[in-house]
Amino acid sequence: MDLKFDASLADFRTMIRDAIKQDLPREIQERTRLFGGANSSDPHDSLAWMKILSKRGWTVPHWPEIYGGKNWSPLQLFIFQEELYKAYAPDTCWGGTHMVGPIIYTFGSEAQKEQFLPAIRNGDYYWAQGFSEPGSGSDLASLRTAAVRKGDKYIVNGQKIWTSCAYMSEWGFFLVRTDPEVKPQRGISFLLINMKSPGITIRRIPQINEEAELCEVFLDDVEVPAEQLVGEEGQGWSYAKFLLDHERTTSSFIYFNKRELDRAKMIATEETLDGVPLILHPNFQGRIARLEAEISALEGSVMRLLANEEFKYNETAVASILKVSGSKLQQALTELHVDLIGPKAIRHYASESVDRDPYDPWPDHIPGRTSQALILRASTIYGGSLQVQKNIIAKLAFGL
Amino acid sequence: MDYNYSDLQKMLLDTAERFLRSHYTLEHRRALRKSPDGLDADAWAQFAELGWLALAIPEEQGGLDGEITDIAVLMTAFGANLVPDPIVSTAVTAPYLLSHADQPDSDLFEAIISGEARVALAHDEPGERYAYSAPRKTLLSKTGNGYTISGEKQLVIDAPSATHLIVTAQIEGSGDFALALVPATQKEVSAYSYNLIDSARASDVKFNKAEATAVLLTGPKASSVFGEAIDRTSIAYGAQAVGSMESALQICSAYIKERQQFGQPIGKFQALQHIMADMFVATHQARSALYQALAQVDAPERDRQRAVSLAKITIGEASQLVSKQGIQLHGGYGLTDEYEISHHYRRLTAIEKLYGDIDHHVRRIGAMTQTA
Repeated sequence: MDLKFDASLADFRTMIRDAIKQDLPREIQERTRLFGGANSSDPHDSLAWMKILSKRGWTVPHWPEIYGGKNWSPLQLFIFQEELYKAYAPDTCWGGTHMVGPIIYTFGSEAQKEQFLPAIRNGDYYWAQGFSEPGSGSDLASLRTAAVRKGDKYIVNGQKIWTSCAYMSEWGFFLVRTDPEVKPQRGISFLLINMKSPGITIRRIPQINEEAELCEVFLDDVEVPAEQLVGEEGQGWSYAKFLLDHERTTSSFIYFNKRELDRAKMIATEETLDGVPLILHPNFQGRIARLEAEISALEGSVMRLLANEEFKYNETAVASILKVSGSKLQQALTELHVDLIGPKAIRHYASESVDRDPYDPWPDHIPGRTSQALILRASTIYGGSLQVQKNIIAKLAFGL
Repeated sequence: MDYNYSDLQKMLLDTAERFLRSHYTLEHRRALRKSPDGLDADAWAQFAELGWLALAIPEEQGGLDGEITDIAVLMTAFGANLVPDPIVSTAVTAPYLLSHADQPDSDLFEAIISGEARVALAHDEPGERYAYSAPRKTLLSKTGNGYTISGEKQLVIDAPSATHLIVTAQIEGSGDFALALVPATQKEVSAYSYNLIDSARASDVKFNKAEATAVLLTGPKASSVFGEAIDRTSIAYGAQAVGSMESALQICSAYIKERQQFGQPIGKFQALQHIMADMFVATHQARSALYQALAQVDAPERDRQRAVSLAKITIGEASQLVSKQGIQLHGGYGLTDEYEISHHYRRLTAIEKLYGDIDHHVRRIGAMTQTA
C-alpha cells in the first residue's frame, strides 16, 4: 500500500495552474463563477475556452495519444480537472470530449474519425446527446425512436428529451431502435445526426431556475446517411455501457464538490449573524465539517478507483458509490450555500444577466447560488437516478 | 498510489482472519463476558506467538517495526471478528508512547512482545470528555529518588487486565504535562472495574501516592507525542470499525437472502435492497476515509488532526447507519444477543464514543476554522 498522494506531481500541478491563470479570459471565468452550469452562455464559453485550450493540446488529454491525447496518468488527469474547476474554467463540450469522441475512436470508421475527431478536439461545435425519451427515462432500453434503413439512408422518427443545448448543437449522437423484433437492448444502434437536418424540431424546456438549457428534440422523417451509423447495427446499447465503464469516476463530481465546499466557507466568512461571521457559528461549522468529511471520503473513493484497487465487490457497484455520494453532495453543498445566504437567497437573479446591475448593492457571492441549488435537484435524477444506482448495487454487489 | 495490500499485509490479514474467526465464535465471546478481567489468555498467547504484539514496536526494541498501515490492516480483522481483548491499548497506543519516551524501557517492550505485560492509558478524569489538551488534576510528585502519582482517572479502557498504566499528569511544582508509567498491581492503585456494552473492559482508577517507575515524557514533547498517540489510537479503532461494518454487510446480505416472508426471501423487496445499498456506500466510504487518515498520519499536526477528525466523522456516521440498519434488516432477531448483528451495533457504538465521538471531531474541525 502507498496511500499518499504522489508528491512529485506538485510541479505538474503548478504548471497546469499557471497555464490556466494565463489563458482563462476573465469574463469567461466570471460567468462560470457566478452562473456556471446554469446559464445559456455556457456552450459559447465552453467552445471559446476549448479554442484556447486546444492551442496547448489540452482539450482531450484523456484520449489515446494518436488521437491527440496527452498520455497523462490518471492522477495527472485528476489534477488537471481539479485545477480547471478550481479556477472556474468552463467544462469542455462533455458530449464531444467524453462521450461521442471516445465512442468514435473506439468503434467508429476511419472516415468518422477523420471527420469528427479533429472537430471535437478543437471545439468547433457543440454536441447534443439524444438518449432519453419521454417514455424512456430510467428504463432507457425501452426507447422507441425508430431508425429504418432505406437504401443508403436511415429514416428516423421519434422524440428525445433532456438534451442539453440541442438548440445550439451542430451534431448529435443518438440511440435509436433499428430492430424492434429482438430483445430491447439488442435492437439499439448509435447514430450521428446533423442537428440542422430537415425534420428536426427543437423546443427549449423552461426550467425550475428559469433557464432553458434542456431541450426536447422531435425527429420527423429525418434522413440520416447510413455511413453515420457508428460501429455495428444493434450494438448501440453496448457502446453506451462502454461509456459508463470508461468514465467511472466522473459521476463523483469531486472537483465540483471540492470547489463548492471552498465556496461555502467563503460565503460563511462573508455572511454574518448578530455581527458574527457564520463560519464561527457552531451549527454551520458542524454542517461544513460533516460535508468536508464526506468529500474527503469521496475523494479517497475516487483515488481507489483511479489507482485500480482490486475490489472485493463488483466494480460497477463500486462506481455507483461515487454517483450516489457525489450527487447527494452536490445538493447538500448548494443547499448549504442557500442556507448561508439565508433570507437573501430568495431573490431571483436571471442567469442570462451576466453583466450585473452596477447599482445592485448585494454582494456577488449571492447571484447564481439559488439558481444552482434549484437545478441541482437534477443531480440525483440524471445519469441513472439515485434509486437506479441503489438497484445496481443491490444486484451487482449482493446478488439480490 | 497503491491501495492493494502488500504481500506482508495479505499474509497478516489471512492469518488473522483464520485464527480470529475460528477462535472468537459468538458463543466464545459471550462466555468471555464472565471472565474476571476480560482477557482471553489463550488468545493473548497466540497474539504474542503470531507477532501481533510486536508489530508496532521498533526494531531496536525487538519489535517488527510495522507501519501504521500494517497495524490498520490487522485491526480491520479484529473489528470484523469483534475481538474484545485489549489489543489497541497494548499493541498500538502504548508502543507509540513508550517508544517515544526519553528513555525507552527494553524490559517492558520484551514483556509486551512476549504477552506478559499489558499497558492501558489512563487520561480522562471525572467530569471530562475527550479533554486531550486540558491540564490534569492528577499530580506527579518527586519524592526522594523516585516519583509518586496521585489522582483519579475515569473510564480507563482495558485497565482491568493491564499490568501497567501510562498516566497523564501535571508535574507538581513546574506544572508541566507528563506521561508516567505506573505498575497497576500496587496497593496505592485501586480500581473500580466494569464491562462495556461491547464486552471490552474499563476501570475508574484512583492513585494514592502510587509509585511511578518511569517518567516517560514531559513538557511540550509529552503533549505532542500524546496527541500523536491518540490520533493513531483513533485510526486503529477506526480500522476496527471498518472491519466490523464489512462483516455486518456480509451478515445482512446473507440474512435477507435466507429469511422468507410473504413467500419469498425478503431480499427481493426493493425497500430492503436500498437499505443494503446505503450500507454498502457508507462502508466503502468509511474505508476510503480510513485511507485518507492513514495518508496523513505523519503529516504536520494540523493536517494530521484534520484528516483523522474527518475520517472519524465519516466512520462514526457510517458505522451507526450500517449497524442500525443492519438491525432493522434482521427484524426482532437483530435485538437478540444470539445474532451477530447486535454485537456489531454495540461494538460500533462503543468505538464511536472512544477517543472522541463525532461531536468531538466536528468541534475539532470547527476550532481549526476559528484559528485559520
